[in-house]
Amino acid sequence: MDTVLSKGVFSHFGLLEVQARNRLIRPQQSSRVKELKAEVAALKIKREQLKAEIQTHKTLQKLRLSVDKQSIDKEVEEMEEEFADTELLKLMAKHSHIKDLIYAHHLLGGYNIIKTNNDKAVCVSLATAYEGFYLDTYNLEIDLRSVLRISHHNIPPFIPLNSLAEQSNIQTDVKAFLELLSLHLNAYAGRKQQLKLVKEQFKSVEVMESNTLCTLLVLMFTASTKRTPVLCTLDYSDHTKSLPTRVLFECEDSDLPNSPEWKEHCSLLMETPVHKALMILRNVGDII
Amino acid sequence: MDDKSKQLLQRVIRRIPIQTLKATLEKWGRLTAAQQQSIDFTQSKRALTDTVIDICEENQLSMKHITELEMINVIDSPNQSMWHALQLIDPGDDAQTVEFIQFKKQFKSHLVELVRHVSIKIKKHTDEAIWIRIAWGDSYTRPNHMKPTYAVHHLQTPYVFVTTLTSKQKPLLSQALLLSTQYQTIKEANLSGRKLTAIRDLLMKQYQQMFPNSFPSLLTETKENVPDPHKVHEQAGTASTRGRLACETFGRGALPQIETTVYKLDTKYKDPTNQTMSERSRPFKCVVKFESKNLLESLRHCATSGIVSTPVAQLLSSIPKKGRNFFYVTDTDAASSSQRPASQV
Amino acid sequence: MSILKPFNKLPSLNSASILLVENEEQFQQSLAEAIVKDTDFTVNVRLAKYLPLPIENEETRPRIDLVVFIINLTSELSLKSTETSLKYLDPAYFLGKVCFMVTSARVSSVPVERLDAVRKLAAFNHSALLFAEDQTPDGVTMAADRLKTILKVSAGHVPMATALYLSSLTQCTQCTVPTDIDQPSFN
Repeated sequence: MDTVLSKGVFSHFGLLEVQARNRLIRPQQSSRVKELKAEVAALKIKREQLKAEIQTHKTLQKLRLSVDKQSIDKEVEEMEEEFADTELLKLMAKHSHIKDLIYAHHLLGGYNIIKTNNDKAVCVSLATAYEGFYLDTYNLEIDLRSVLRISHHNIPPFIPLNSLAEQSNIQTDVKAFLELLSLHLNAYAGRKQQLKLVKEQFKSVEVMESNTLCTLLVLMFTASTKRTPVLCTLDYSDHTKSLPTRVLFECEDSDLPNSPEWKEHCSLLMETPVHKALMILRNVGDII
Repeated sequence: MDDKSKQLLQRVIRRIPIQTLKATLEKWGRLTAAQQQSIDFTQSKRALTDTVIDICEENQLSMKHITELEMINVIDSPNQSMWHALQLIDPGDDAQTVEFIQFKKQFKSHLVELVRHVSIKIKKHTDEAIWIRIAWGDSYTRPNHMKPTYAVHHLQTPYVFVTTLTSKQKPLLSQALLLSTQYQTIKEANLSGRKLTAIRDLLMKQYQQMFPNSFPSLLTETKENVPDPHKVHEQAGTASTRGRLACETFGRGALPQIETTVYKLDTKYKDPTNQTMSERSRPFKCVVKFESKNLLESLRHCATSGIVSTPVAQLLSSIPKKGRNFFYVTDTDAASSSQRPASQV
Repeated sequence: MSILKPFNKLPSLNSASILLVENEEQFQQSLAEAIVKDTDFTVNVRLAKYLPLPIENEETRPRIDLVVFIINLTSELSLKSTETSLKYLDPAYFLGKVCFMVTSARVSSVPVERLDAVRKLAAFNHSALLFAEDQTPDGVTMAADRLKTILKVSAGHVPMATALYLSSLTQCTQCTVPTDIDQPSFN
């Protein structure tokens, strides 16, 4: 009784309730065997389900192939007896086909545009890709009232969005603007990706300098002959391309950059993405 | 080592937390390996400071070296002072091609031309940010290293972040920046805060923004958890719309840690129930300040939970959209206004 | 804009339904989890931010046996929202099928007048007033248990007891407001 008085009636009630709850839970533990059995049954059902799923998936793939060949009806007739829900499967096959078409559309440079804000604005997303890999997606919201105005976007500030808009005359030709912007973004994404690949793949090549827009790249590598370090400057002054406009070799051995071999390397770097060019140089054995 | 450098060294070491002191000194590289080994990092900060000062004196380090240490510390922990954002506008033709070496040379020469006694240190940090430390003096006094100005600029972006800049020094720095970055005008970006990374992320849009068309499938997947038949949310539709609108305004995931936002109101008081205030001819002036550990996150929560009505009022959504946290609100007919009249916040 | 009525639907066997109304939509989530967990009868929990409930769900909604208004004392809005929501409840609910649950009552920054206002609200509506701790898991289960006990009665699962009978014992009365000061403290 003393403890009740010192701690208060409510806390004592709380204690009693906890005890009551524990007593409720305990008998359940004895039925653990039953639980496990139920679990086994559930897992068995799940296995059956998964098996069925695999089966439908296989047929779906078959159907997809025939959709691609534009001869769905013939194939379906053959399958009609096997499956009851062919109609559904057919729809699913078509769905995945359309999804792939949309994906292809993206790859070709299509824009994903939707209306927002009660049709007063559109939201455009520009996907960037390099060598078949999707990179960042950028979005911009364009206000359509009276004059076109970019109200909201996530394009990095070093892409000169406003000057691009002016340059391509956004008020009259939105498509040209989007194309130009997409060109800039894709080139930037490409250069960034190249730099990333160089850093990953070539431990012996040191990136001396680069900038946020990835328009300047200074690399240091070692020429195999005489083991001299070579400073290679890549200048990407055309911001719509991911290939350099100027390549310069600097070396203590002043004859090296002028040798026919290295002149060839220079033109190689101008024409091929830097990580691929470096791979070739390494394979040839001119750099370490 | 003179008294001034000793004083600065003392202050720099005081500012470096004891846990990172060892690493910072290593990065500095002005002490020999043996000297670094000899320092007992378990002793008190005061004793530690004395030891380091003794070693520096032994090595005959000068002010130049001490400022290097200071710079390393500021770059590593930039959240110790108030940062303000400046915006460069009207880029020249060459603005996109300015590179580091050229910028460094130009900035130094221009600033030295403007102020004779000035000490400038420029360093490029790994993430392409240029850190500039300026110790100011004037025609008669030598540069004061105790109150240096720091400026951070990312090449090719129109933003500069500065700290401890007096109004007297501002035009000088602005001019030097304009000349070396090839821009025409510079203005206040109306964004400030202690967290440099937060300000940078907000202006450079380096946080996860959300757009109406971005990954609609992902959204529905995360929202629609396995529904429990015994637990039904009656207003689930409106709740998810609110959540979506809040995310569209403020973004998804972790948000930049902006800590304050200030609205300076200079408008006509509008309240039909309060006659005396509404009929006053003079405008109603007041300052509304919001403070939070992470203001954007708080506002997003307010919008998601319905405390703030959605779509979010323009005054609040302007913080992430325009990248500002200081607003001067006037009535629309006034010439200088950039905002609509004050809503009842 | 429909008014919620307690007797316009038939009850279903061995089940009871509870409606949790909370403006913040925070505590109701954990509370709902705790209520649904280990019960000997089927409990349907309906969550709402405010009343009235949307008409679209009219069909699927079971008969609501107990309406709980959760009021966070630190927020003025929470109280205001509850006050407006009350208007969309059929008077028959106030015969023992409504209760108010207060959270954050121990936060020191809460003005005393607000608790008084909540007490008055509960007394005026002849309903029970419960206090809950929403920050600890123990507090949540405790609150859930308390609600389930009331729910059992108001859903008619307890022989010889009715909601009206229980409420006459548990309802918050105006006279307790001034004399309630020397209440034993929670630990």
